Amino acid sequence: MAVFEHFQNLYDIRLKPRLLRSLIRDRVPDEKHPFSKPSELSIVVSAVKNHGLLSESSREAVDPKHMENWKSSIDAWIERLLLLVSSKMPDKCWAGICLLGLTCQECSSDRFLASYSVWFQKLLAQIQPPSDSHFVKVASCASLADLFTRLSGFSNIKKDVTSHAGKLIQPVLKLLTDDSSGAVWEGAVDLLCSIINFFPSSVHRHYESVEAAIVSKIMSGKCDSNISKKFVHCLALLPRSKGDEDSWSLMLQKILISINVDLNDAFQGLEEAETKSNEVIKHLVPPGKEPPPPLGGNKMQGETSNQATEMSEQLILHRISMLMLCCCRMLTNPYPAQVIVPVRPLLVLVGRVLMVDGSLSQSLLPFLTVMQREFICSELPLLHLCGLDLLTGIIKRVRSQLLPHAADVVRLLTEYFRRCALPALRVKVYSILRILLISMGVGMAQYLAQEVVSNALVDLDSIAHGCGEASSTPCSKAASEGLLLPSYRKRKHGTITGFSEEQQGGVGTEMEAVKGKPITPIAVQTAALQALEALLTVGGALRSECWRQNVDLLLITVATNASNGGWANEEKDIFLLSDEPTSTRTDFQLAALRALLASLLSPARVRPPYLSQGLELFRRGKQETGTKVAEFCAHALLALEVLMHPRALPLVNFPSGDHPDFGQGFNCKFPKNIFSSGLKNNSPFPRGILGKDEIEPESNDDELYSSWLGNDEETEASASIPDKHLESRQELSEKDGRLSTEDHQAEKHPSDLPAGAQFPKEGDRGATDAAHMETGGIKDSIMAQSERVQEIIPNNDVRLQDKDVMVPTGDLTANVVEPNKGKIESSGSDSSKATPALSSEINNKVLMAAADANALPSDQGSLLTTSIVIEKGKKLVLEYNSDASKDSFPDIVDGEPDSD
Amino acid sequence: MEVVIASSPVDAGIGCWDLHSGAEQLRYRSCTSTPHGLACVGQRFLASSQLRDSSSSSGSILYWSWSKPQVEVKSFPAEPIHPLVSNSDGMYIIGGGSSGAIYFWEVASGRLLKRWHAHYRAVTCLFLSDDESLLVSGAEDGCIRVWSLFMVFDDIGMEMAKNPYEYSFSEHTLRVTDMVSGYGGCNAIIVSASEDRTCKVWSLSRGKLLRSIDFPSIIEAVALDPGEHVFYAGARDGKIYIASINAETTSSNSYGKHIIGTLSDNSKGVTCLAFSKDGILLVSGSEDGTIRVWDAKTHNIVRIYRLAKGPVNNVLVVRRPLYSNRQTSENSHSSFSRRHAPLLPPPLGKYVNSTDENVDSGAVSVPQTPSSDIMDAPYLSYHVLTKQISELQQQSSAATGMEVDRLNLDCKRSVEIVQKWKEMFAYLHKFCVDELLGNDQTQTQ
Repeated sequence: MAVFEHFQNLYDIRLKPRLLRSLIRDRVPDEKHPFSKPSELSIVVSAVKNHGLLSESSREAVDPKHMENWKSSIDAWIERLLLLVSSKMPDKCWAGICLLGLTCQECSSDRFLASYSVWFQKLLAQIQPPSDSHFVKVASCASLADLFTRLSGFSNIKKDVTSHAGKLIQPVLKLLTDDSSGAVWEGAVDLLCSIINFFPSSVHRHYESVEAAIVSKIMSGKCDSNISKKFVHCLALLPRSKGDEDSWSLMLQKILISINVDLNDAFQGLEEAETKSNEVIKHLVPPGKEPPPPLGGNKMQGETSNQATEMSEQLILHRISMLMLCCCRMLTNPYPAQVIVPVRPLLVLVGRVLMVDGSLSQSLLPFLTVMQREFICSELPLLHLCGLDLLTGIIKRVRSQLLPHAADVVRLLTEYFRRCALPALRVKVYSILRILLISMGVGMAQYLAQEVVSNALVDLDSIAHGCGEASSTPCSKAASEGLLLPSYRKRKHGTITGFSEEQQGGVGTEMEAVKGKPITPIAVQTAALQALEALLTVGGALRSECWRQNVDLLLITVATNASNGGWANEEKDIFLLSDEPTSTRTDFQLAALRALLASLLSPARVRPPYLSQGLELFRRGKQETGTKVAEFCAHALLALEVLMHPRALPLVNFPSGDHPDFGQGFNCKFPKNIFSSGLKNNSPFPRGILGKDEIEPESNDDELYSSWLGNDEETEASASIPDKHLESRQELSEKDGRLSTEDHQAEKHPSDLPAGAQFPKEGDRGATDAAHMETGGIKDSIMAQSERVQEIIPNNDVRLQDKDVMVPTGDLTANVVEPNKGKIESSGSDSSKATPALSSEINNKVLMAAADANALPSDQGSLLTTSIVIEKGKKLVLEYNSDASKDSFPDIVDGEPDSD
Repeated sequence: MEVVIASSPVDAGIGCWDLHSGAEQLRYRSCTSTPHGLACVGQRFLASSQLRDSSSSSGSILYWSWSKPQVEVKSFPAEPIHPLVSNSDGMYIIGGGSSGAIYFWEVASGRLLKRWHAHYRAVTCLFLSDDESLLVSGAEDGCIRVWSLFMVFDDIGMEMAKNPYEYSFSEHTLRVTDMVSGYGGCNAIIVSASEDRTCKVWSLSRGKLLRSIDFPSIIEAVALDPGEHVFYAGARDGKIYIASINAETTSSNSYGKHIIGTLSDNSKGVTCLAFSKDGILLVSGSEDGTIRVWDAKTHNIVRIYRLAKGPVNNVLVVRRPLYSNRQTSENSHSSFSRRHAPLLPPPLGKYVNSTDENVDSGAVSVPQTPSSDIMDAPYLSYHVLTKQISELQQQSSAATGMEVDRLNLDCKRSVEIVQKWKEMFAYLHKFCVDELLGNDQTQTQ
């Protein structure tokens, strides 16, 4: 030790034995000197951990002499520890045990394997009777748990270790039953959990006694909630020690029956206990089968029945919530065997709990005292929370197999949601809705949309209208209208004015509750935003028209208001945080931004109305360096970039003669396309900056999106727009004023109509989309855009209205097809022959009809192949021209060919 | 391991080849599959609906496990089943019957959960949307319907709804031969092919026809490029046409509008198509009994497998779990595979069992290996140590207990020492006294 050795730096291997020796000398207690400062130990631990003093390994090759030196120093360390563990002084013994636990984690594998059984014996002795210090017992439990955790990494000695672990079960159970200290219970149950986790078969023989011991602890209600939860966790793990299907099912069955019995006691007079309970039992135990033994074995049964008389409500409710937690854990923990989850009884049980709201059952005479009822009511929220947790567990476990039960779950949830008013519960319900939406997809979204939206609107109302003093009358009026959901229109106007005022009003408008309305806690608002985000993520496109507009507006308003007070300081939040996870302002802002992004990205038919406001928000948020908000905003900007420049990228550059043609098409299109392509070329951004023209001729990929829904020929984009104006003139003559500028265009094109309006439905929409995309593409030249926006707005209105117009056309197109089929079938010839014949026949008609449409660059071939479609288009146009056109197909109105 | 599996309407078994090495794996025997009647259920086993002679009224669905060539489970549904699909985790099998009914089975229990009348004529193809909440079915009469599975199971909602389906498309005039859906959940597109020589592109979110493309021949199979730039249409004339989905193309070539190229090697008609997971290799089955693997980038054939003399009518590219790849001769391994590849589920039920309420309460959950637990298992002793140290410093009751113990022991030891000292003192005292007295005595003597 006295030898002075050089070492180069911090990382030198020669440093480690020196450090270790000085730790042993100065910090680790020994037999002779009293051990006065236990805090020294934490210094030892951190030194050992930081420097890896026990690892006996080095990244580069080292002189064996140095290694030998290190090894001997570790030998000395372990010798000292073993000495300490056998010490009579409890504090020194305790120190030795703790450091031995640390050694189990840190030492090299070889050393660990060589000596773990010695250490095990030493530690085992410490949890057995002669030692009586709690500290020592707890520390030995922890060290033993670490020993087994480390051992779980070595699969080759599993048998040996299992037998070691088996020896441990009895002493641990003894700790549980004999000892009275919570800390010892905790240590023991932790140890038991790690053994069940890693060496399940060692518990197999003691299964019943372990179950009995744990259940009695849970049922007694003597330990605090934290330790109770550990017991519950252990009970949920226990079936794994057998690892077969039966023990898992049996355990769950026993627990459910036990909960059911307790619920009967707890809900006396609040529900029709008999029927509900019978329902659960009926599903759990098929008629004719023996009910399983009670939870915890028969001995427990005797005890509980004795206690039942004096059992307080408090205890019953505690037991119910703990057992429900246990069910939840059993469902969410992975299990090695295939098991059958009794979904139906679980759902019935959850429903039973959630449906009790403290009101007296009508058919029963009230024989509850007011005190009892008061107590039940005070504890119900906790019980409901457990019920919701259990529901979450069920959903997580059965995944896609929830499908047959999904409708029940949704009905239960929506009914509960309507009544549920407590913040914590609402947060939970929102989170379940979120899980359901994400896991079950769009089908679920259709079911839940209305519920989520209407609840979220209520919960976010105070923020959406949080105008405070800055608000003038329309705003608060809108707020008061907020609760009356169906009044969409009024509400919309109200919020729009409120919103714009807010924009002007600036920073001073903090969230303040509008007078007379309760303030919704921030956690609920966050949860509501997250649920909306999930809804938009999975179901933004399908049948969302009725709520989409409202939600988009709500989200931009909330996000703007949330950021108005400045971005929250995360560090501050951290310091303010108490132990329990609370929802902070940062979370809220993040949730608002996430929901906004979802609203912008969720598929829509027009450009998201609040795109530029949203972008502005994200740009601002990105400047908050080093915060989560900034991270998310950067991500959002990236995601939105694709919205700006949609791409449909080819796998390869398709070789073929298409491209020159296309280029020509583009060039010759230019003078014609007064509206859309003129706009395109005015803007320097997409083409000039990106310079795609030079690089790849198929740069039209950028615009593919715009043409996606529309038609294919270049001219149609241009033709269909006047076409639309034409329609709008016909259908909405009152809007003519604004459109008059385009009249001359519209008049120029009527001759194109038959060919141009191949898909009036699509062409229409596609063109509008195209227009939107174009304006989106040149966002930088906003000034030029303003008048176009005006043009687009009436188009939007047209769209809404022309749905009515379109409905008959759908039928019509279907009908148009039918005669073709009839012909084919009647002619009895091969369909492949019939179709061209037919199409050429139609083709002739079309050519006649479109005789003066020479401007079209389409050749015969393309006309031929799309002729049926053109036919449809023509019929459609006919319909516009004369209402009687529909009457010309009187025989084929019935669209179902084989209706018998 | 990514494998190509293929089956044929003549009894040539189900062929299975490693997509990348080309090596043929096990051939599963006695399968005469219907078109679209081959499915890999949750990567666990293969299922195929069988062609039956017209005399038999019931259908037949067979299961093969990965490791055995023989049929392991036979089920006989109430009527012949044509197309067969399974959801991605293999919990459900959905089949379309020749009467137009759709059957919905739970795989693990074999129960027929639902049967509903979907079409007037036989169902020809089925697929599930991205999020597996929508089912799309095509029928012989050209009708395509979109079902919300959720709605199908909601009896109450079903009564209130106007139509049991979400959409019904009737633009195809003849039998629907194949359908494929793109990416994007409810906003996806569907491409359908029909004997009326068209392929149609539909929007799922809006329930509308987006594009209709005419082909020179009947299209039997479609496959969608993963980037959804184009789709591939396998035709009866032996060509695979490449048609653009959304690009504006003028037709300069001889095939027709929107068709921008072909893959062709002058073979017989193409009957089925499938994309590999990397989105580059396209697998096609042909009427001449061969399966070709194309490189979609270069348009070259990469590989040809031979299944049978007769036509191929199903190809799938699936990921096969690795364990079944190894030989089961080793003792240790066979136990391993037995544990991880549970026995095949029971046969599928014939009728919906509505009377027996108690049976339908379970959901089978697949075994999960708690392997991740070992990785993130925390070591306890450090936390216990820090907690105990802080307890010691705060002089809590447990800590004082230990302190008292320590003091007691100290005290005992001190008492012992005192005792020793006392003895020694007494001895010395005695000694001294004795000495003194002895001296006195000697002096007095």
